[in-house]
This record gives sequence, structure tokens and C-alpha cells, in this order.
Amino acid sequence: MKKFYLMLVLLVGMAVLAACSSGDEEASGGSSEGSSSVDTITAWAWDPAFNIAALEKAKEAYSGDGDFEVNIIENAQDDIIQKLNTGLSSGTTKGMPNIVLIEDYRAQSFLQAYPDAFHPLTDVINSNDFADYKIATTSFDGEQYGLPFDSGVAGLYVRTDYLEEAGYTPEDLTNITWDEYIEIGKKVKEATGKNMLTLDPNDLGQIRMMIQTNGSWYVDEDGSTPNLAGNESLEKAFETYKKMMDADIGKIVSDWSQFVGAFNSGDVASVPTGNWITPSIKQAADQSGKWAVVPMPRLDMEGAVNASNLGGSSWYILNVDGKEQAADFMLNTFGSNVDLYQTLVKDIGALGTYSAAAEGDAYAVEDEFFGGQQLLSDLSSWTDEIPGVNYGLHTYAIEDILVTGMQDYLNGTELKTVLENVQGQAEAQLK
Amino acid sequence: MKNLKSIFIYTFLSLAAIVSIFPFLWMLVSITNKSVDVTQGRLIPGTHLIENMKTLFATVDIVPALMNSAIIAIITTILTLLLASLAGYGFEIHRSKGKDIVFNILLLSMMIPFAAIMVPLYRMFGSISDTAPFLGIDSLGAVILPTATTAFFIFFFRQNTKMFPKDLVEAGRIDGLSEIGVFFRIYMPTMKTTYAAAAIISFMNSWNNYLWPLVILQSPEKRTIPLLISNLGSSYAPDYGVIMSAIVIATLPTALVFFLMQKHFVAGMMGSVKG
Repeated sequence: MKKFYLMLVLLVGMAVLAACSSGDEEASGGSSEGSSSVDTITAWAWDPAFNIAALEKAKEAYSGDGDFEVNIIENAQDDIIQKLNTGLSSGTTKGMPNIVLIEDYRAQSFLQAYPDAFHPLTDVINSNDFADYKIATTSFDGEQYGLPFDSGVAGLYVRTDYLEEAGYTPEDLTNITWDEYIEIGKKVKEATGKNMLTLDPNDLGQIRMMIQTNGSWYVDEDGSTPNLAGNESLEKAFETYKKMMDADIGKIVSDWSQFVGAFNSGDVASVPTGNWITPSIKQAADQSGKWAVVPMPRLDMEGAVNASNLGGSSWYILNVDGKEQAADFMLNTFGSNVDLYQTLVKDIGALGTYSAAAEGDAYAVEDEFFGGQQLLSDLSSWTDEIPGVNYGLHTYAIEDILVTGMQDYLNGTELKTVLENVQGQAEAQLK
Repeated sequence: MKNLKSIFIYTFLSLAAIVSIFPFLWMLVSITNKSVDVTQGRLIPGTHLIENMKTLFATVDIVPALMNSAIIAIITTILTLLLASLAGYGFEIHRSKGKDIVFNILLLSMMIPFAAIMVPLYRMFGSISDTAPFLGIDSLGAVILPTATTAFFIFFFRQNTKMFPKDLVEAGRIDGLSEIGVFFRIYMPTMKTTYAAAAIISFMNSWNNYLWPLVILQSPEKRTIPLLISNLGSSYAPDYGVIMSAIVIATLPTALVFFLMQKHFVAGMMGSVKG
């Protein structure tokens, strides 16, 4: 009898397995063998409120004459990286999407590791139409691969009420250096007891933003040689970071939720970060009217500017069946449609890097949460000033090494020694 | 003196209990709070439970994801129990030098991390996608197959089989049972606790499995629960109250399975240690 039951269980198991497959025929568009034209193109992106929403708007706005469905799939950013890496390195294009969103810091490593996997857009879009600083990160070997999307333009979000208590106005923080920022921070802490900003020892976005104000990066122009020891901007950024620590104006956080929690609960007087933080800032509705955004402080060095970037991403088209259709879709939406960009800023607050779009009315709107500031047009004008750098292949790999270097430095090791050490480690690891 | 010792032990145990229970407590409290409160570390239950649940059910397809996870976990568990126990039985009862070598090679495969075989595995499943779509990329079958049985479970059953009285096999044979009959009618009922322990481990592994389903499943409607939760955290302004609600729902089945089979589980684990 037992035997009979087991056979039954096995049979049921087999039946369920077979049943699971029934949905397969209509699903997974994009990579069927044979004809290169497809009925459905698939796009992967993260964040339903931002990138996914932008794709939905693009789908509505598509005005080309291609006849296809656009299947938008939401995946977390880390998940997309994992899936792309596995899929592309296995050499099969099965299951891969037509369009994928990749963060700018990671783009070069994908383009270099899988040169044939991406479809060049050099002849499809005009790279002059987009913010200059985006082009270096989205092109490779003279070919334009990415369609630049959201701006990671950074701003200094400040609590005007805290500043006022300490006797400052947002103007006092406009176009300042990081050293001046620290001085103001000390006064603010004295007057209000609030920290000036959050610092996350495991995420050196702060350092990245600082060095980009001076057009510098973790790697040389070639995108792969580590540029750490003897990098004056990096030295200055490290010194500034330590000054912040010593001045005790930073609230230490260890992850994203604590970071968001700190400004939502009014624990910090400013947030220097990318503009994509706006929705999170606005989450604390009771703080409406108490915020303003000013340009990023610059490093106290010759040539540094008050504009920087954090994050930001671009669209890429994979070299699979349906690539022409995907390119046509992108060209007729994110590649040329000014109205679409107006909708994007109005409805979802997504700030693109398509230069012509900044002229539109939607950018001039006054934001009550930020005391009536024309936030989008301000951010957009700062975008044009961001120094372009080649983010290269190893941003996050080098940052992992730098995080430990920073700890050593904060614990008293000489800066020169620290940077020489991390340079050595980076060179050994990234051979 | 004895009192002092027990005070010390109880203090230590209480501390350990608090440390291990706190995350669950925080999780349960957080589902009743708004996202803003969660990020601020609020530890008092709030009134936002119903809103969180509503948002969760309105924004994501959690029921289909639970179904997918359940189908995968149940089938994987049944296959694991059957295949691994057959193999464990065979290795131990019908022992020979050759089989011991095969078994040792099998054990070595436990040392290869999954990430190392993932790319070739993906390629394999990609190549059968056209001929056998129910086992190809983006099918639940492809999630189940590589985990249907693993060296660990074969090892687990073999170790436990060492305690199984071999006389019973002889007795069964004398009474006219076939080899298969001995396995199903004598071995299986006797080893109930081992099966229970293996079932819990296999179910939990499969339910919580993240990496392989992530790379092999592409369509949103085939997502399992861990993938769905990972997605919820993907936005620049994640709603932590809703994420916590999803995590609580995802934790319930494994907790249920564990509590239902706890007694057997402990007995089964003890067996494997003694063996």
C-alpha cells in the first residue's frame, strides 16, 4: 500500500512539473531563435516609483511605427547585476531582456566584460543631445552604447529652520567649500544640538562626490589603473572626511534605512547626496517648507566646482533578437521626446539628462516643500557643470579597499601610507 | 554555590534568548508601523497594520509568489526525501569498497559552492530550453531539478542509517519481502524521525533559496517569495512597513512546518549526531 502511495506522489509531482511549463510559450519574449523581429520586447529596471514608472510613461509616449508590445519587468538593482552576469557569462542569450538599466558606476565593467553582448547606439542617438558628463560613462571603445537616463546630480539638502537657529541662511551655504561647510556645521551643532550630516563608514559616496567636484576619480583616464596614491583630490577628500569626524558633526549610520531615518526624524541639518533622494526627503510631510537645496560644496582646491554627481543610470540594449525594435523604441522615447521628459519630471520627479528637455515648463515649477524653490531647474543647471570623469571598471571593488583604508586613517595611520597601501592592494587585486 | 551557578547560566541563556528573539520581535512590531517609524527604530506597536497589509496586497502579487514557493518547496522536499533516502540506504546497507569511493567523491561535491557551478548550470538549462521547456530557463522545473537531491541529504540519510538495525532487513527478506518492499515497509517507518528532520531542512532550504531561482526565473508571475521581497526593497524610497509585512508572511510557513515537526526534528538531529 505504501508503495502505491509513493507512486501516486511521484506521479502527482511529475504532473505538477509538467503543469508549471504550460505558461512558457507566451512568456519570455525577446530571445526566440530564428527571425530577428519579435512581438514583445522586454525591459528590466528597478524602483517602481522611478525607473519602472518612467518606462511606463515611455511606453505610452512611444510614437514610432514599430508593432510590438513592451514587457516591463521590475527587478532589484543587485538582482539585475546578478542575472546579467550569469546570463551573459554563460554565453546563452536565452532569458535575457532587450533593454536593461545599468548604474553608471558599473556600466564600463559590463561593456568591457561582454563587448558583443550590447548593441551600439552610435548611429541611433546623437550623443551631443545629452549632458556631457554622461557620455564618458556610457560609451566604450569609441562606440556609444548607453542611452543616458537619470541624472545623479548631487545637491546639498539643508534644513532652513536649523540653519536659521544658528544664524545662517541657505545663501551662506551656497557655493562654499567643504572646509567652510564644516565650520558652519560646528556652529549648527552648537546652536541646535543636531548633527550636520550622516556618515556611513561602509559607503564612501561622500568621498566620490567630493573628488568628482575636482574632476578626479578612483581610476586613471584609462578606466582601469587605480589612481589612489598621490591623488591630490582623494587626499584632500580623506582629510576633509577626517575633519568632519574630528569636529563631531556627523551622525554615524550603517545602512540605507538609518540614513533615511536620520533626516526623516530631523536628526541632521543637511543631506549631501544625489537628487533621487527628493522623494525620501518629502516622505516626512511635516517638514514641508523647512528644506532647501543648494549646490554641492567643492573641495578647497584650484579647479574644483560646486557640482557633483552620485549614482545615476542609463539604458542599454542587448544584442539579442529584437534589438532594432528596442533601439527604435528608445530613440522615439528617451532619445528624442521632449514632452516625455516633461511628464517624467512632473509626474514622477525623474530628472533626465536630455539637454533640450530642461527648457520646458515642468522644470520651472516651484516646489512648496522646498520653500518655493525651482528645484528641478536648479538641479538641471548644476547638471551641466558636473565635471565628466571616466568611472572605469572598478568603482565598487576599489571602494571596498578604500573603506578599510579610511578606517586605518581615522585610527591614526599617516595618510600617505594609507593611500600607498590601498594603491598596492588595488593593483594586486585588479590585475 | 549551586545557586550562583544557575544564576549565571540563566543570565547567559536569557541574554542569548533575547538576542535571538529580538529580530523577530522587531519584525512583528514593524508591520504595525509606518515606514518612517520603522526607519526611526520605533519599538512600540503602532496602528498601521491594516494599511501595510492593504498596500502589500495592492502593490504586489504575493499570493501567486506564495503558491510558486509552495509548489517548488513541496516537490523539492518529496523528491529529496525519496532520492536521498534511497541513496543513503543503498550506500549503507549494500556497502562495498567501490560504493565507499563513490560516496567520498559525492561528499567532495559538498565543498563546491553553488556560485561556482551556477554559470555552467544556466548554460545547460539554456540548451534544453527549446526541447524541454518545462525544464528550461524560466520554468519552475529548472528551479527544482538542481536541488532535488544534494550530497548533504545523502550523507544525512547514510549517517542515520548506521543506527538502523540491519537484522530487520534480514527478517524482512526471510518473510519474503523484495528489496523495494524492505525499503518502503520496514526502513521508511522505522526512520520516521530522520525523514522529519530532513523534510524540515529541505523545505526551509527550498523556501528560502534565493540565488538560483533569481537567475533562472525571468517572468514576474513565476517569482518566488524571496525574489518578491528582494524586489520590494529595490526602490530609492522603500516602504519598510510593507516589506516587513511581506517578510512576516514569508516566515509563517517555515515556522509552521518547524513547530509541527519540532519533536521529530530534534530526535532526528540527535540521531545524526550519535551516528
